[in-house]
Amino acid sequence: MVKADKNIMRSFLVLTYIFVISMLIFLISSAFTYLNTGADRSKMLHTEVQKIEQYLPKMNWIDDGNEGRPLDTQTLAKIENDYLDAWYVRHVAYQSNKTNGIEDYYTESARKNILDFVSQNQQENIFIDATTLSHQPNIEFFSEDGQLIVLKDENVVEYKQVYQGGELVLETTEKASYKAILLLEDGFWRIRHLVREKVENIEETTKTKTVDSLNLKGVNYYPQATPWDMFGDKFDIEIIKNDFDIIKNAGLNTIRIFVPYEDFGKANVQVEKLEKLQQVLDAAEVKKLKAVVTLFDFYGDYKILDWTLTQRHAETVVTKFKNHNAILAWDIKNEPNLDFESRGKQNVLAWLDKMISLVKSIDETHLVTIGWSNTESAHLLQDKLDFVSFHYYDAAADFTQQYSNLKSKITNKPIVLGEFGQSSYGGFWRPFAGSEKKQATYFEEMQAVLSSENISYLAWTLYDFEDIPSNVVGSRPWRTNPQKKFGILDKDGNRKLAFEFIVE
Amino acid sequence: MIKLNYILLYLFVFASSANGLRAETIRLETTQQEFTAGETIVLTFSGTQDASIKLYCANSYGATIIRPKIENAQLHYRIPTQLTSKIGVVNWELLDKTNSLSGTFNIIPQTQPIAMETYVGPPSIEAGDRDYTMLVIIPADALDNPIKYNTEVTVKRQFLAEEAQEIVQTKNLIAYQRIYAPTQSGRMLLATECLGLNSKEFTVNITPAISTDFEIFVKRPHEYADGNQITAFTTSVLRDENKNIVSDGSYVEFVITNSDGNLLKTAGMTIDGVATAKMIHPDHAETWSIKAYVKGISESNTISLNYKQVIEDFTVTFSKNNRTIEVGPLQSFMKQLIPDGLQVTLTVSQRGKALETYIKESRDGFVNFELNPNIFSNGNYDLEITTASITKAFKAKKLW
Repeated sequence: MVKADKNIMRSFLVLTYIFVISMLIFLISSAFTYLNTGADRSKMLHTEVQKIEQYLPKMNWIDDGNEGRPLDTQTLAKIENDYLDAWYVRHVAYQSNKTNGIEDYYTESARKNILDFVSQNQQENIFIDATTLSHQPNIEFFSEDGQLIVLKDENVVEYKQVYQGGELVLETTEKASYKAILLLEDGFWRIRHLVREKVENIEETTKTKTVDSLNLKGVNYYPQATPWDMFGDKFDIEIIKNDFDIIKNAGLNTIRIFVPYEDFGKANVQVEKLEKLQQVLDAAEVKKLKAVVTLFDFYGDYKILDWTLTQRHAETVVTKFKNHNAILAWDIKNEPNLDFESRGKQNVLAWLDKMISLVKSIDETHLVTIGWSNTESAHLLQDKLDFVSFHYYDAAADFTQQYSNLKSKITNKPIVLGEFGQSSYGGFWRPFAGSEKKQATYFEEMQAVLSSENISYLAWTLYDFEDIPSNVVGSRPWRTNPQKKFGILDKDGNRKLAFEFIVE
Repeated sequence: MIKLNYILLYLFVFASSANGLRAETIRLETTQQEFTAGETIVLTFSGTQDASIKLYCANSYGATIIRPKIENAQLHYRIPTQLTSKIGVVNWELLDKTNSLSGTFNIIPQTQPIAMETYVGPPSIEAGDRDYTMLVIIPADALDNPIKYNTEVTVKRQFLAEEAQEIVQTKNLIAYQRIYAPTQSGRMLLATECLGLNSKEFTVNITPAISTDFEIFVKRPHEYADGNQITAFTTSVLRDENKNIVSDGSYVEFVITNSDGNLLKTAGMTIDGVATAKMIHPDHAETWSIKAYVKGISESNTISLNYKQVIEDFTVTFSKNNRTIEVGPLQSFMKQLIPDGLQVTLTVSQRGKALETYIKESRDGFVNFELNPNIFSNGNYDLEITTASITKAFKAKKLW
């Protein structure tokens, strides 16, 4: 007994010793580490400023020479970068009423002007959400010592939402001309003077095309193995060509496909992705199928300062395919009305409005639409669109009523049913909710209305899927499982009962 | 007359009834379209007394919202100072749901500048007709606005005896002038004046341009190759094409090619246009050819220099089992003992294979070598002694 006590005592002492020593070592090493941190030499210069693309309005440089010293491209790129950053930090300052970054891009005397606005707006509880969409800069003068430039910036299109007390009081788009003096200080081109010489409010008028009849019969298309990831690593054009044959042979004439925003590389669209899209469109053209290309899939930000990035994205994609024969229409965004609540109806509509104008300014041939998720929202922005498109997943019996409600709100535009369908899932998570037979009945009933009203339609979807990515309907099994069974072909490509009600 | 009164009365009644009808029509009463920076600006609207109607207002730097004050049954919007003090176009919009009213007014700079931001650069330029510097002036008013276009700015300069002034006009917010370099080097002083406001003084250094080709000269105590004296090379005064003496410190490199075609280099920097460089005499007869360069810029003529042999022959004495070798006396051109430091080389070899090389420098005209018996065992060795490029060989010298 005595021996055991002694052993316990011994081991306690040894452990205490080890613990104390390790604490000491830890403390000394922490102190040592702390003393070794501090002023980092690399931070003395601004070399570590990271270039993140966060603000990319359209820059139409006027290259007509300048007075003074000739300008080299490297300096010009640096000026463009810093000048846009100056705009960006200013937008952020007025949006947040904080002045972070202002001192990097405005000289001491110019800063004051912005700080005055910030402090007044803060007092009055005003904030301004703004972005510029395009600039037309032109270097007027570059000093011999390379330290000063005079920049003329014309046709600056600036979109603003002005809030007071949390309430939107003004939404405006202004087109202005500026002259700015920029000085090279501490490696930054800083604004010294900024003078707005001209300004006007602009009301954009979007021209729409009159479409007589569309007569679309088709499906929303994803390959069976890669739903919502059509242009990923498993892209196989042969599978897609084969599917197009199936669609064509079923007597359909249209597909609706989706261009995911992030997957395509956001503002810097990846060339490989564009090539894949090109292959798909080429294949559709060969099979004589028309494509409705839905842009901005999985995009949901709409933040005003994010607009320029999305605009560069759309610009690249639309410019590349603006002459492609397979394209019937650009669907700007899939079901944007679902974002009204979380992102603000105002923001979403404004974003869509500007995006429609941009797409139409680049591509004058193809039609433009928005794939609204229900009949209640489908009339929005109809004046800007070439045809109205909506999705319908309610009971087939209610369709006629909802459709006529919508039709009464639409003046003189063709209406396309962009998505409709029913899941044949009736398994564990939703027993008896659906079956192949119920799905077939649904399509039969829908088809009857569609053909009698002569409505263009695109069904959801060609195949049953095996995996639904979690960002589509979440990961709850009672949601994903029904989502897998919307196909008119099963996952092995066999016809389901509904198939015959889709084909001619 | 009565008739006229009736007409006036009728007009009055009609006008007031019209007012009554359009009670909610808001009109801008302020007619002034152009203001000077700093002036108080109040936009007045009639037709309503609804103080909840706010005014959106934006200028070059930002935007804000203003609340009205009601005076004389009109809405008075006093534009805040950050808007009234900066030049440019201000746009406004009345935030009223029924009446959309908007407009712009212009703020122009005050006429009198009170500050002149002046930038001169580059701060030094080269004399001659190629280079120039630039003076950029931003005359600004009391509220830090660039003053109006086409304002005259006088650029004054002084250089040596010359004083001149020119007038430039502001354009694109600035005024600028190129200042071309004179042909002479020196300091140029610059100053500017705008509407009675004078700047401080600015200095531009006019540095001499790059040198043109030049000549070199040699100075040496004697013509003997004694390996001891020093030959000095100097340049003529280096000047640019306008005869300005090049800047002190211009680097001149002298390249010497010896009889074997090997290169020796020495260099000097100019003081008052003259660069000096030195080189020790060779220790044997040599012919040097020397040329100097300001690298990439200019070069000199080539000069040739002969050095005469001073040591014609020397004595080698063996002693102590032939293991001590004494070389000397080494005598110079006047039979004097050569100054310390002449190099003597001894090479020991056996059966054609070099075993060891010893290099020693002379002291008091002699050099002694000791061949250590622990290194060189007894036997026959070939010995070679070289100094002042004279070689003496001793074949199969026996050491014991």
